[in-house]
Amino acid sequence: MNISIIKKEFMELMRDGRAISLSAIVGLLLVLALSTGLSNERTKEQRIFQAKMADAEAFNAQGEKNPHSAAHFSRMAHKPIAPLSSFDPGVSSFLGQVIWLEAHYRNPAMFRAAEDAPELSRLENFSLAGVLTLVIPLLIILLGYGSISGEKERGTLRQLIGSGTSLQTLLLGKFIVISATLFFVLLITVSFSIVTSIVLLDEAAPSMSDLLMRGASLLSSYGLYVLILTAITLLVSTLVSESKTALLILLAVWAITVVALPRLSASIAEQVYPSPHSHEFWEATDASLEANRPDGASADYAAVEQRVIERAIGRSLEEGEAENLSINARGVRFEVSEVIDSETYNIAFAELFENYAKQRNLRRLLSIFSPTIALQHLSQAFSGTDINAHEHFSNEAERQRNDIVRMLNEEMMLNGSGGTSRYLAPAEFWETVPEFQYRQPSIGSTWRQSFPDFFILLFWGWIGLVALFLLGRTRAEF
Amino acid sequence: MSELLLAQALTKKFQSKTALHELNLSVRRSEVVCLLGANGAGKTTTINLFLGFLKPTTGAAYVDGLEVSSNLDEVRKKISYVPEQVSLYPSLTGLENLDYFVKLSGKRQPHESYLRELLGRVGLDQIVANNRVKSYSKGMRQKIGLAISLAKDAKALLLDEPLSGLDPSAANEFSNLLRGLADNGTAVLMATHDLFRAKEISDRIGIMKSGCLVQELSPDGMDQASLEEIYLEQMRNSDETSG
Repeated sequence: MNISIIKKEFMELMRDGRAISLSAIVGLLLVLALSTGLSNERTKEQRIFQAKMADAEAFNAQGEKNPHSAAHFSRMAHKPIAPLSSFDPGVSSFLGQVIWLEAHYRNPAMFRAAEDAPELSRLENFSLAGVLTLVIPLLIILLGYGSISGEKERGTLRQLIGSGTSLQTLLLGKFIVISATLFFVLLITVSFSIVTSIVLLDEAAPSMSDLLMRGASLLSSYGLYVLILTAITLLVSTLVSESKTALLILLAVWAITVVALPRLSASIAEQVYPSPHSHEFWEATDASLEANRPDGASADYAAVEQRVIERAIGRSLEEGEAENLSINARGVRFEVSEVIDSETYNIAFAELFENYAKQRNLRRLLSIFSPTIALQHLSQAFSGTDINAHEHFSNEAERQRNDIVRMLNEEMMLNGSGGTSRYLAPAEFWETVPEFQYRQPSIGSTWRQSFPDFFILLFWGWIGLVALFLLGRTRAEF
Repeated sequence: MSELLLAQALTKKFQSKTALHELNLSVRRSEVVCLLGANGAGKTTTINLFLGFLKPTTGAAYVDGLEVSSNLDEVRKKISYVPEQVSLYPSLTGLENLDYFVKLSGKRQPHESYLRELLGRVGLDQIVANNRVKSYSKGMRQKIGLAISLAKDAKALLLDEPLSGLDPSAANEFSNLLRGLADNGTAVLMATHDLFRAKEISDRIGIMKSGCLVQELSPDGMDQASLEEIYLEQMRNSDETSG
């Protein structure tokens, strides 16, 4: 029986000129979004590649140079293109793409695409995810607002019910047709994004299986979103008697839950957990650095100094051995200060990211009123473009900074002990400094962080389907 | 129980207005019963209560012995319904509409030749059947509606003013079809304003006014003028009462 309903609904859809025009417009929007995304990511990829090459070339061509001077010159950590950023660029444009791995300082990421872009380049945010998030609900509303109310107006509902068809069966058939149509649009879109990502794959990209899992996760999230919106649309269409009333109600729901609430939730989160201004953050961090630096004669300082020397020589120190070691004291001081400051930086950045996490949790709470908020979180997370992905990159870059600076300081400590403080490392030394090999977070860790958002979508879906099921069973008078 | 359709003290109130008041009515197998009455007399409410579109305030409607509101699924398998305006899907052809409604009424994959035979029985041109319904006249849509009912092969057929707007020839064909169905065992309950057709095909006629069945009569041996006289007399009584 359901097959007949599905077949007839599809037949009507195919013969409806409005549906075909609508499909053409949506198709065009998606193609535009995909080509914009692809073009942006290609440009970014080329820039990253060129910048990485230039950075490596400049570092390796320093010639004979004092290692500490080289530590200030240092390297850049380039954030690779996220796995599915052509689908959803997320917050990547606003968080910077390169971190300068300088001695003494944990620098923030710089070169934000949004900052560098001229006004007209705001199209960079014209992403597939953005189009889908806004357009999917509209499409569902346009396909479904008259599903039941239209049957009522035409009089066909009474005839169908009178023929022995249950409202539940009818609702199920219409639910399947609308969801399947939109799911097909999703499948095409996500598949194209995966193909695009494969074209752009570089050494930092996740494996093919990881990419496919990300695609499947995106499909599941957007698929759930489609189910939720289809259920809401059919509920409204069943409860009202006129199609135009259903359309008005659904457009109001769209404006509130899809357009207004996601933006409002970001403002509320920022009000409740304000992000520190750049100068406030650095003032506070500088004060903490000052406060946490132990006195050079203290036991704490001596303990760090011993750890630094032992790590450099690769063994434990005998008692009283430190004074007699042939080691560059300046290099030791640099590394001790690096180790002490690094801990303070880690705490300051952890607090900063903790604040972002609190903002995200508050938005999560508000997604009880709008599934779009939970979907935005999931879309960015599975595309690898959310704040968690940036935190991972920032922490990995800091690890690389610590490794590079330590290597340069140890070069100075161990080889610059000839009495001069201006030790020059040989020209070939720089090539022994390892490149930044960044591996993006796996899909497993993304799922662990995103499960609450997925659960919220599941909850919405469950409520929608149960309400539709009950309405189909209990509505008796027509 | 020999009655296929039975109303026992059937009452329906909409807030303070009583649309139907303690109706007692039965329609047996092979019997055609017509309900006559002015607009708002309770004819459509009666049909809606038998179809389960409305729940009675008091009393009960039965179809083949089953109380309607508590056995909706079973009841709807036993009845067919032709409304005043047969509503179809305008972007589908007559044949596709018929196919859809027949499948949804529980028939599995009706063969096209069977559907065409049904259309032939209700007198719809085979070529017209392949046209989209948006180009159909009211009479053509009514014929599709009747074909849907025929396909269901129901025990009882409920019709709500199916003849209104049909030209005399189409109305005559339609009436003959109904009589034929009844002769083959179907119980037919039809609400109509058409006294002439009612007299032609009915076994019994019920005259309704203000939600009450005021008179039940057999048209056998009665001429058209007499029926009209009785009907108008009942309507005048109604006017005097309300006046």
